[in-house]
Amino acid sequence: MLKIAKDKLPELLQAWAGGAKVFVPQDKGGVSVFLPWEGQGNLTLGEGNTLEPPKDLFFPRTETMYRYQVQGKEASLIEVPSLEEKRVLVGVRSCDARSLLLMDDVFLTRGYVDEFYRQRRENTRVVALACTAASPTCFCTAFGIDPGRAEGVDVQMWPVAGGYLLEGVTEAGRELLGQGSSLLAEAGAENIPAAAKPGLAVETSGVTEKLQRMFEHPYWTAVSRKCLGCGACTYLCPTCHCFDIQGENRGNSGYKFRCWDSCMFSEYTRMAGGHNPRPSKKERLRNRFLHKLQYFPERYGKFACVGCGRCLDRCPVNVDITRVIREVKEVTL
Amino acid sequence: MANEARVNPLVPRTGRIIKIVDETPDVKTFHITTDSGKPFTPLPGQLAMLSLLDVGEAMFSITSQGPEHLELAIKRVGMLTDALHEAEEGQTVGIRGPYGNGFPVEELKGKDLLFIGGGIGLAPVRSLINYCIEHRQDYGHLWIIYGARSPADLCFKDDLFNNWPKVENCRVDVTVDRGDAGWQGHEGFVPAFVEELHPDPAGKVAITCGPPIMIKFVLQSMEKLGYKDDQIITTLEMRMKCGIGKCGRCNLGSCYVCLDGPVFTLAQLKQLPNEY
Repeated sequence: MLKIAKDKLPELLQAWAGGAKVFVPQDKGGVSVFLPWEGQGNLTLGEGNTLEPPKDLFFPRTETMYRYQVQGKEASLIEVPSLEEKRVLVGVRSCDARSLLLMDDVFLTRGYVDEFYRQRRENTRVVALACTAASPTCFCTAFGIDPGRAEGVDVQMWPVAGGYLLEGVTEAGRELLGQGSSLLAEAGAENIPAAAKPGLAVETSGVTEKLQRMFEHPYWTAVSRKCLGCGACTYLCPTCHCFDIQGENRGNSGYKFRCWDSCMFSEYTRMAGGHNPRPSKKERLRNRFLHKLQYFPERYGKFACVGCGRCLDRCPVNVDITRVIREVKEVTL
Repeated sequence: MANEARVNPLVPRTGRIIKIVDETPDVKTFHITTDSGKPFTPLPGQLAMLSLLDVGEAMFSITSQGPEHLELAIKRVGMLTDALHEAEEGQTVGIRGPYGNGFPVEELKGKDLLFIGGGIGLAPVRSLINYCIEHRQDYGHLWIIYGARSPADLCFKDDLFNNWPKVENCRVDVTVDRGDAGWQGHEGFVPAFVEELHPDPAGKVAITCGPPIMIKFVLQSMEKLGYKDDQIITTLEMRMKCGIGKCGRCNLGSCYVCLDGPVFTLAQLKQLPNEY
């Protein structure tokens, strides 16, 4: 266990910035997001989580896939260079760390490896920051997540009086800490602060099995009535991974990109010719909740929700997944 | 660099349309190859992502293949298919695949097969019919029942009226919703035609594809004729973008049609949400 004084943290980041691009939570027009650290000294790793999850750094909201040139019947395709940039992501909470493991299941398993994701994931070291104060909309422990210690990260940090405790979890993490050895002092593990107690509690056991019998239930009509279909929940969700592929033409050349998409939008499933298997909000909202709580568990053995609470915090009409879980469990079949 | 050896499954190869066959007023079959030959060798019922680089990309069933090319029969229904129908031989395209599970050609060995198609729905079924003809000794009797809106809308006329009827132990029955002055054949919808022909379910597996409304009523007819859910196979269509089970949109419950389908038995489909 190592300790760093709060005012020395920028120097540690500076050391890491020598070999990688460092990202830390920052305020951008009132919105807290992960942005490149540019040497500023007044670094604040606050108590709350970022409004936007770090998903964008692994699965960008728009990403060029390849370029092309077209001239009459002739066309050629130009691949984009592979992404070699090394990165260190500092201040990731336990919920978002779990979300990266869920994204790994989607993008790296089941027969095909998504190269864009893989390159970013392999080139990025993750430094987690334990939660010692939770927001009123958090419920990570409902999914077996420990707000005091993240899974699958390289370094775990804990905020303590006057600084941070740090532990190198992986070989790469210990290497990172080695780069700042002059700034770090040995510390006792007994100083690890107590983890936060999430503001919301919900019991998830049995919800998958219940939902397996509720596809046709009128509950979905009732719960979707107030949904606006804005898609804010899916954009802020650290585990939503749906994307669209689109092109942009400029004269004879252009590029294909992928961009985040949302199952809350009607275009998402609408086929050429007009048929839409999920024609209304009811089917779309049902699909979103079933994906999180039934389909993903069936496919990958895990819930696709990490209890970060972003969706229910920002939903303009207070659709609340914890309430959905509770109500689903109460429905009589 | 190690990364360069990896194949990015979302990036197509370029190929070329080498032949275009007019099937009906709104269906054309495109023969596609690449500089290094056939883009890939699909199983019957597998899919290909085809693109015009500056227009768009969509998933199509592969209706047939030769030693050097793939054949995709495409109906004109939207932006990309409009542009494809305007394209000429020699046009460069993007192609990636093969995707999906394909028909269970091993499990079907030794069975009598009943193929029921409607309109462009014959395209994926045809890949299996031709496979069975190529491996004739492995399969029993082949019975093809096909219908379209009008005589002009019948796809693959050369197969329906010349090639398939000549195949040993193979029967072809064709109907149209409404005939024209020159039509001598059967008139009526496919489900009623199937009931009229009443193919005996014993030892048979039925493979059906067509417009959703046709499939709905064909399934009812099959039930009347005594077919069990595991004797009926169909192949589904969904909007797809990635083709590799990542982009999310083609899910039926926890299955992705692009990866776990598009071919399902009716018994399998009944276990999945009715959302297609």
